[in-house]
Formats: sequence, structure tokens, C-alpha cells
Amino acid sequence: MATTRSEWIKFRTVRSSIMGVAVTVLLTIGLGVLITTLVRTHWDQLSSIRVATFDPVSSSLRGSLFAQFAVGVIGTLFITSEYTSGSIRTTLTAVPNRYRLIAGKCIVLLVTTLILGEFVCFAAFLIGQRIYLGVVPTASIGNGTVLRSVILAGLYLALLAIFAFALGLILRQSAAAISVFVSLLLIVPIIGLFFPQSWQNDFTRFEPSTLGVSMQSPFAPSNSFGAWSATFILLAYVVGTLIIAMVLFQRRDAGSNQ
Amino acid sequence: MIKIDHLTKRYGDTLAVDDLDFEVKPGVVTGFLGPNGSGKSTTMRIILGLDHPTGGRATVNGHRYAEMKDPVREVGALLDAKAVHPGRTARNHLRALATSNQIRKSRVDEVLDFVGIAAVANKKVGTYSLGMSQRLGIAGALLGDPGVLLFDEPVNGLDPEGIKWIREFFRALANEGRTVFVSSHLMSEMAVSADEIIVIGRGRFITSGSVNDLTKSVGGTVLARASDHDKLSAVVTSHHGVVHDANDEGITISGLTSDEVGQLAFDAGITIFELTPQRASLEEVFMDLTADAVEYGSKKTDPARG
Repeated sequence: MATTRSEWIKFRTVRSSIMGVAVTVLLTIGLGVLITTLVRTHWDQLSSIRVATFDPVSSSLRGSLFAQFAVGVIGTLFITSEYTSGSIRTTLTAVPNRYRLIAGKCIVLLVTTLILGEFVCFAAFLIGQRIYLGVVPTASIGNGTVLRSVILAGLYLALLAIFAFALGLILRQSAAAISVFVSLLLIVPIIGLFFPQSWQNDFTRFEPSTLGVSMQSPFAPSNSFGAWSATFILLAYVVGTLIIAMVLFQRRDAGSNQ
Repeated sequence: MIKIDHLTKRYGDTLAVDDLDFEVKPGVVTGFLGPNGSGKSTTMRIILGLDHPTGGRATVNGHRYAEMKDPVREVGALLDAKAVHPGRTARNHLRALATSNQIRKSRVDEVLDFVGIAAVANKKVGTYSLGMSQRLGIAGALLGDPGVLLFDEPVNGLDPEGIKWIREFFRALANEGRTVFVSSHLMSEMAVSADEIIVIGRGRFITSGSVNDLTKSVGGTVLARASDHDKLSAVVTSHHGVVHDANDEGITISGLTSDEVGQLAFDAGITIFELTPQRASLEEVFMDLTADAVEYGSKKTDPARG
């Protein structure tokens, strides 16, 4: 508990966390407003197929797929800044139990990004539906699957923050960890495009961003997992990466820079 | 008390610490002396549980550091003054540190006051000079009012006033019965600030003892000017003394005290004009002890070639 409170002080007393939170709010809500406004103004011109398959829930939450990079940076810097500044040595002399330290950091990161993620996703959804109102079909938060989609969209952001944190703990360098994180989200899907069609479908649905789309959709998109399956697969990625990171962290020296 | 027990640390092919074995006692300032790269910092990092030893162990008050619940209350350490997030203020840095070890909040202001940076406590650490960072590091080490303190090259970056302050501060901590372990590559610094000295080179133990003992162990020489230098040399040599330098100004003798040389000269009927004991300076002792153990020594240049 003392470790968690200490890490909370550390989290909120650096500008990078505050900036990351601001950018997450801006991207999720701002882009949500932009996308839903564009849908509303162009609604008449949409093809009948697009209209028939239109999902007011996930379309209003699309901004979160951009905000995932901001929460990734929050998660990465929470640990890599300790290495780049050398403060990891001060941190570990205060909390030599490395499991306790990482548990404390993960609790702080998970709770803050979960609250942040839920806040921005609920806001983006509610504002989006208000923008759609009268022209585009809307969804109600009172509906169970709609509520699930919005909640899981927020959880997606929190899980990605932990994923980025684990990558940061493995790589110990801000630039390297952020590059790998962005590559996994953006570059890997492009590589998938070079695969034969039959492989592509199998490959694409395992990508983190595709899992994110599944999580925030009331109905499973084609060639994708359902919301709960997607959540568990993403959770498995996050836990798996965190375990690798923890094993390395426990084994490595923390005193010297590398 | 710090106990180093057959400690060995290997980084790849390099042996940074080679079977070190010593104790650091409370109540005195113990200097940890060695050239750069001799393994001082590595040893301190292992004591603090940051690096894992390849062999042996290091304990503080009988415990391994990693097993301590609130270590900041038991051991205070200043390893690297710049090892603080540059974007955080000094006060927030110390607050986080205090919270992690359940140290009361008011203690933060006390230590900030004590090291003299209270006025800039709300500024980001990134704006600090090395001397101010060093003081912040000392504040962090004192935060938990620990009985054991470790300082790695603490005088680096301090101005003369700061150096004087820190020497008196070490002395005061030791007088309170605390264990004070201070590393340095500067013999002259250790000569004035430490009571006991442990000398290492290339990761190996070289010697230890009080500052006085160390200068004695290497031994001084005696400069003698007498009526018959050749006769005196012969007498000295026959009594296990060693004659180093003989010229018109006198002969330099080692292995015998000035009293012994005077007595020998008297017995042999040699008139002594001058008899001067010459104490080796601590710096010379250090150079002598670590001559073979300097990893990154400067090459002697040939003056004739420029």
C-alpha cells in the first residue's frame, strides 16, 4: 500500500503523465466529435450497405483507437523514465522487493488509465449519440450490449497502457519501447496484408487493434472475435508480456545503466 | 554494520569485484578508496541490492538489503546525485521516497532545511547544479534517520564550503554511533575525512587500517647526513636497513627508524650532521599500493620526444 501511494505521487508529479492524460481526452473525445459529425453530415450520401451495417456505438468510440498511442506513451514512460533518468536506483533502494514495486506501479497505472479510459469512452459515446440524434440511428446506454461495448472500450485503453508498461520494462529505453509498441499496433497489420487471403483473416483478428474494435462493437465484426473472447485474448497478451518483463526485471542488475 | 563476505561480481568477461571480504564498523567514518573503475560503486550497488553478486554476499546489520521491509529507515544511500527524475521537484521526490517507507511527511521539510535547499525545494530537479543535486541526494539518504549511511563519491561537484560542510557532517554522523561508509578515488580527501580506510584496486582488497597505520605500514624513510656515508651505508645494510639513495647531501634509508640509525652511527663512531625521518604522504602510500591495480592509468610520456 505504501509502495502504491508512493508510485501515485511519482505518477502525478511529472508532466509526461499529465500530458498523456490530456492527449487521451483530446483524441478520444475530439476525434469522436469529428467522426460522428462527419457521419451525420454525410449520412445521405452513404451506400445502403453502409447504412445497413452502420454501428452507432463503435463509430462514436473510434477516437479511442488513436488515443491508444497516448496511453501507450503514459505506460511506457512510467517505467522507462526511471531508467533514462537513473531514478530506478533510488526507487529500488526504497523498495528493494521488485515484485512489490511492479505491483505498486501496475495498480497505479491500471486504476488511473481505467478511470481515464472509462471517462473518455462514456463521454465520446454520449456526445456522439447526441450528435447523431435526429439524423443517424442512435444507441442507448441502457442496452446491455451497448453498455458492455463502451465499458470494454475503456478497458482496452487501460490494458494497452499495461502492455506498453511491460514493453518498457523489458526494453528500458523510451524510444525503443514506444517504437515497438507503435510497430505492434500499426506495422504488424501492414505485414499481414502481404499474407495470402486465407491466412490474413486468421492473422488480422489476433492483432491488438482488431481486438480493440471487437471489444467496442455490440456485434462481432466479420472475421473477428466476439467482445469477450477479444478481451481475454488481449488480457493474455498483456499478462504474458508482463510475466516476461517481471522475470527479466527480477534477474537483471538495476544499478548500472545496462 | 556492513559485512562484505567473499563478494565477487562478474560482468561478462570482466571481474569487477574479486573476493572482497571486509567489515565496516559503526562509530567511525570508513573510507572506501580505490582508483576509478576499481569496483567501489559496484560493491556499493551490491550492498544496496541493486546488482546481484556472482558469489558471496553483502549484509547490513545482518540482513540482505533486499529482505528489508522499510530499508530507507535502516540504510541511507547516496549513489548518484543525478539519479532523480529531472521533471519532478525536490519536495515531491522526497515525498514519494518518504511515503514508500512510511516516514512521516514533516521529515521531508526537516531534511530539506538541513541540507540547505529548502528555498529551491519546489523547483524541478533538472534545473539543479551538481552541488544542489548532491545536497538533495544527501537529504534523501538522511530521510529515514538511518543507522547506516553509504556515500559514493560525495564530494564530487561540491564547492569548498560544501566539502568542509560534508566532512563535518560525516564526523557528526559517526560520533552519533552511525556506520558511515564513504567512497572516493581521492586519497587526500580520505586522509582528512576518514578514520579507517579500506583500499581496493581492480576489485581486489589491497589493505585496510587507520590513516596512521596505513602510512606507517608502507613505512617512512630516514634521511641521514653524516661524516662518512660509505661507512654508514655498510653499517645500515648489515643491520637489515636498505640504502636507497646516496649522494653528497646524504643517504636515504628505509627499514630502520631514525633512532636506530642514530644509535648505529654512534656505535660505529660516525658523526651525524642531520637525521630526518621522512613520512610517506598518504597520497604516496596510495599510489604505491595501487600502482599495479590502476585499470585506466595515464601512459607515461617520453619527455624527450614531447
